Amino acid sequence: MTTKITSARPAAGPRKGSRRRPPASSATTVGRPGFAWALPAAVFFALFAIVPLIMVAVLSFMSWDGLSSPEFVGTDNWSRLMDDPVMLTSIWLTLLLTVLGVALQTPLSILLGVWAAGHQRNRAVLSVIYFIPLLLSATAVSVLWRALLDPNFGIPAEASWLFGDGNLFGEQATAIGVLAFVSTWQFTPFHTLIYQGAARAIPQVLYQAAEIDGAGRYRQFFHITLPQLRNSMITSMILMIVGGLTTFETVLILTQGGPGTDTTISAYYMYDKAFKSFDYGTGSAIALVLVVAATIISLIVVRVSGYDKMRSSMEGVS
Amino acid sequence: MKTRARLPRLVACGATLTLALSLSACGDGNGGASADDGKIHVLVYGDASNKVEKRIVDTFNKTSDVKVVLDTIPGADYQQKLQTIINTPQAPDVFFNWGGGSIKPFVKAGLLMPLDDFIKKNPDLENKFLPSVFNNAVVDGKPYGVPMRGTQPVLLFHNKAVLAKAGVQPPKTWDELLDAVKKLKDEGVTPIALGGGDVWPTQMWFQYLYDRIAGPELFAKAVGGDKSAWESADSKKALDMIRELVDTGAFGKNYDSVKYTNGGSVQLVAGNKAGFELMGSWYYSQQLTDHKEFAEKDLGYGTFPTVEGGKGDPANIAGNTNNYYSVMKKTKHPEAVAEFLKLMYSDEFVKAQLEIGNLPTTTNTDEFIETAGNADYSRFQYDLVADAPSFQLSWDQAYPQKASSDMHKAIQQFFNGQLDTDGFIKAMQALPTE
Repeated sequence: MTTKITSARPAAGPRKGSRRRPPASSATTVGRPGFAWALPAAVFFALFAIVPLIMVAVLSFMSWDGLSSPEFVGTDNWSRLMDDPVMLTSIWLTLLLTVLGVALQTPLSILLGVWAAGHQRNRAVLSVIYFIPLLLSATAVSVLWRALLDPNFGIPAEASWLFGDGNLFGEQATAIGVLAFVSTWQFTPFHTLIYQGAARAIPQVLYQAAEIDGAGRYRQFFHITLPQLRNSMITSMILMIVGGLTTFETVLILTQGGPGTDTTISAYYMYDKAFKSFDYGTGSAIALVLVVAATIISLIVVRVSGYDKMRSSMEGVS
Repeated sequence: MKTRARLPRLVACGATLTLALSLSACGDGNGGASADDGKIHVLVYGDASNKVEKRIVDTFNKTSDVKVVLDTIPGADYQQKLQTIINTPQAPDVFFNWGGGSIKPFVKAGLLMPLDDFIKKNPDLENKFLPSVFNNAVVDGKPYGVPMRGTQPVLLFHNKAVLAKAGVQPPKTWDELLDAVKKLKDEGVTPIALGGGDVWPTQMWFQYLYDRIAGPELFAKAVGGDKSAWESADSKKALDMIRELVDTGAFGKNYDSVKYTNGGSVQLVAGNKAGFELMGSWYYSQQLTDHKEFAEKDLGYGTFPTVEGGKGDPANIAGNTNNYYSVMKKTKHPEAVAEFLKLMYSDEFVKAQLEIGNLPTTTNTDEFIETAGNADYSRFQYDLVADAPSFQLSWDQAYPQKASSDMHKAIQQFFNGQLDTDGFIKAMQALPTE
């Protein structure tokens, strides 16, 4: 991979060369792809995303237990949901877990990713070990940690100085901590991969120049690596936020939303209502809230971060 | 430099691939019956007991013109999947259930066939079963299910070695239990192991205490729709006793982090770290599988202690009465189904169930009980069930399925102190009863 980058640079590098090319001249001769080109994808998207979404929206105004035929109940589901304290806390819990996820995973994966982009001895082998959690299904990971954190026979029993009586799943704060930790354990490798690729793409000349100017490793990291990773950071954070908002299996297997409703996040509450309490109307309403919230948050992130008009940050290099 | 870098990468790729391959889990689902194809589709919960069901189906198919096809849905998803297909053309003719609230919504939706006609033609379909068990599939005065597996009463198990060391006898009364808890605590062990993370083990304590103090009537009233039952003095007394037991540290402090389903609480007892565990009768075979030596040497069992001044008969029991076969109204082969159900009290059925460790609830079980793996244990259970004036179906199964999630939340929250008595009563009153 490293050889590829070095050999590719001279060809694409000089900006003067690219400027000489007439802008988008090929488009006029080939013809712009029409709507017909997008049709297969559009139909696919409509069938598997838009149609179900509309059905969920309709169902949120109905009462349905899966047995009898659905009945329109107006805004009953919605008004009940507005007054439901569990719903409100579930939104806060979802946001909290998302923020915790971003705050824990970002620094870790940047450090690991930048490290993995280097050429150290044993790097490849260690990288694979770090990568393992990503290969496990969320279910397997959750079952594993539930067993590892058993208060009588797991890690807490051996390290009572840290865990006290080991009631990790019996109290809200610790249960949330475990959820955040397990997601971090599982998803950091993925984001590490993103940062590894991005760190590899940073031109070596920047570091060489910095070295000549006398910049140490820390200054190089903070003044070259981090700024150059900006776009990857935005990508990775958006993925983390979307992932955080849709977290489900981890909660389902680790805590079942418990103790009580202390870790009932919105996605789990939706499952609880729809598939455990057979109240598909309320479940659909929660699902709709989730979709709207996730869309709004994604839009905000895209706007604030400038993802929509993202450009190469390597300008001026050469 | 290039060659040096290649080796680790090769190792890395190899390791990744191996891991990925070894981790890909395989599932084979064969659930879901097809629409009418001239056969009877029987849908059951997929687990180890399926071999008996398969054998009975084979026996039936040897003589019958209308063949039975056995479909299974693996484990935990059963109820959800059943609910999604039961009102569609894919619905089976006959299906496995837990009686009580698990079929009540189906009865209300008019999907099930009352079995009185079958019983009128063949009274054995009712008479050959223990009444306390048969009655749990009676809804609104009509029978809707025939017992088809084993009974699973909840018993108070103990570790003989731990009890002996603390100088404790298996408790017969509530006061003796409280005394035992104190002595075991002084010994430095958890008096009672509890898989609170699963919640349904916690519920077992509620079931028994309510029955002992108020008798089965209180709960029957509540599940019948009279929600004032939860506010009664007896209800509050039961809650006070639970509160007292929890607060004395009978279950330790971290019970909500322990699970029965991942072997946590099982190991607590087997590893001499706890004295008691309240659990369904399947506990014996679970211990036998996980900790053979302990199960054979030190595992003791007994009934739930009596409560002085309680209105409930001390011989009452609680737990899973049995599983049932219910018949869909839409079945095209009612005569053949009636013939098939007859096999549920046949000698072959009883012997096959006993062989795999289940305890059937037919009247002829008595004759074959000595052939069971652990005849003493089977005899103890059988007598218990046969003599019980009332067999309280597990609360989460007696209520409609849709109530179980909220019920579990309330039970867990009262137990760990997040809800007070009034909060618990309100939560139970908010549960749907039909």
